[in-house]
Amino acid sequence: MRIKKIHVILALLILIPSFVNLGVPIYNRESPEILGLPFFYWFQTLWLFATAGFYFVFAHLKEKHHDKL
Amino acid sequence: MISSDVVIAFVSLFIVFIVLGFYGKYWRRGDLNHVHEWSLAGRKLGTTLVFFLIGADLYTAYSFVAIPSGVFAKGSLYFFAIPYVMLTFGVALVTMPRLWTLAREKGYITASDFVKDRFGSSTLAIMIAITGIVAELPYIALQIVGMQSVLTVMFSGFANAQVVEEISLLIAFVILAAFTYTSGLRGATLTAIFKDIIIWITVLVVIIAVPISIGGFSHAFSQVKSSYVTLSSSLVPAYATLILGSALALYLYPHAISGVLSSESAQKLRKSTALLPLYGVGLAVLALMGILVFAVPSAMNFLSGFPESSRGILVVPSLILYTLPGWFAGIALLGIFVGGLVPAAIMAIAQANLLTRNIIKEIKPNISDSSEIKITKISSTAFKFIALGFVFLVPATYAISLQLLGGILIAQILPAVLFGLYVKSLKKTPLIIGLLVGIGSGIYMVEAANSFGPFTSSLFSTVFGPIYIAVISLAINLAIAFGGSYAIKKTQALKT
Repeated sequence: MRIKKIHVILALLILIPSFVNLGVPIYNRESPEILGLPFFYWFQTLWLFATAGFYFVFAHLKEKHHDKL
Repeated sequence: MISSDVVIAFVSLFIVFIVLGFYGKYWRRGDLNHVHEWSLAGRKLGTTLVFFLIGADLYTAYSFVAIPSGVFAKGSLYFFAIPYVMLTFGVALVTMPRLWTLAREKGYITASDFVKDRFGSSTLAIMIAITGIVAELPYIALQIVGMQSVLTVMFSGFANAQVVEEISLLIAFVILAAFTYTSGLRGATLTAIFKDIIIWITVLVVIIAVPISIGGFSHAFSQVKSSYVTLSSSLVPAYATLILGSALALYLYPHAISGVLSSESAQKLRKSTALLPLYGVGLAVLALMGILVFAVPSAMNFLSGFPESSRGILVVPSLILYTLPGWFAGIALLGIFVGGLVPAAIMAIAQANLLTRNIIKEIKPNISDSSEIKITKISSTAFKFIALGFVFLVPATYAISLQLLGGILIAQILPAVLFGLYVKSLKKTPLIIGLLVGIGSGIYMVEAANSFGPFTSSLFSTVFGPIYIAVISLAINLAIAFGGSYAIKKTQALKT
């Protein structure tokens, strides 16, 4: 049962950032701006940090549960 | 005319670069007469080094030339490069540690090695090797175009600028060929770190200094059309499929696979891959330069002296030259220059591996280890000069377009290489047919989308709007590979 739960978490850690990336209408807007930069540009740039975070947790969990997966 | 401090900074750092390239031979010493030592740096690179080496595949002329030039000419559509690099590392995180583990167990150096072993088909393995070599060539040519753009900006105003430029490129390539020959992937890794440090510094300086000097981003965005601010809704499918298609394609390129296989362990590979989206931040800054330049009158004035089709290529170097102090511009321009040189070396090594192991050895199986390494070294040199010759012969804008075609071609090896890692039911014959149809349909759609004229677009108009051709032909390819494998399984079940 535990292994099943971890599989779902691992899948979500990859799928959530991918869903946001490919869901273009989510971020295809002009405002709010930051320092004059339209939402379209700053959101995608900041999302890079979030994505790296998701992926890093994925890598960490995968290593921790290495024997079971 | 440029000032002497630009040239002094540029040349002195280039000398450091050369020294590092040759020193690579002694770095983490190994017997360079073994293929995996020369081509994969002995499979000993840790998290940080793999981060830099694969990152070097990202900070290429693709980021300095193709993307800013696209943003400059067409607007926000070309910002797709940022979500693309995020997604591509997700794909890699799931698939590449498995390829690494199999490669370590069975001694694979290339994706073709894996395919041959997995499907027992030399035909499929050779086809995948050829696709890799062909798709990589315009990618190398693009690197040279990037280097050329730096030289064009530096030498503009000189008499015989063109001749000086071509001689400088040739010298740079002879040096590159010499240290790749002696140091292999070790030299490339060391120089990759050097280049990435310079580029990171440049990117940080540009993103702080340029908006301040032009009075904020809003000033730049007020100079451009609305297609530069957000995507028009008709381009949303194009944006999403460019992300998807490019993300699926990157890790199929031979040079990306070399980077993966040079890792010391699957865990280290996973960690460095997870952090690689951070490289996208620099890429985002470079892409934004395609818009910032509109607010820098001196740079725009300089660009107006060139034909419209080649202005985009020069955006990043001219913005650097016209907004930063001379000595720093020299450092930054050198960063971009070697930013083309290093990936070109990594790519040529990967091509040479495919040619030697998966094509020549297939035809003449009893080559000794020492001749194998010799052929690999010589062919890696040859591939670099083929790409250089290509750039001297065709216009620069054409090289960028051919790189788009390269992406469409390389995506077609995905069913065998990535699905082959997981799906047991795949069979070789449907994979071969799928690959051929994928390539054929891809080329046809590129021709049709450009009305059989020069390549400028890689989007195909469908009922859903314009879609990246790589995604359409990959879908056809996958349908054949899976459908055919299923049909073979059914008929075999009926016979027994």
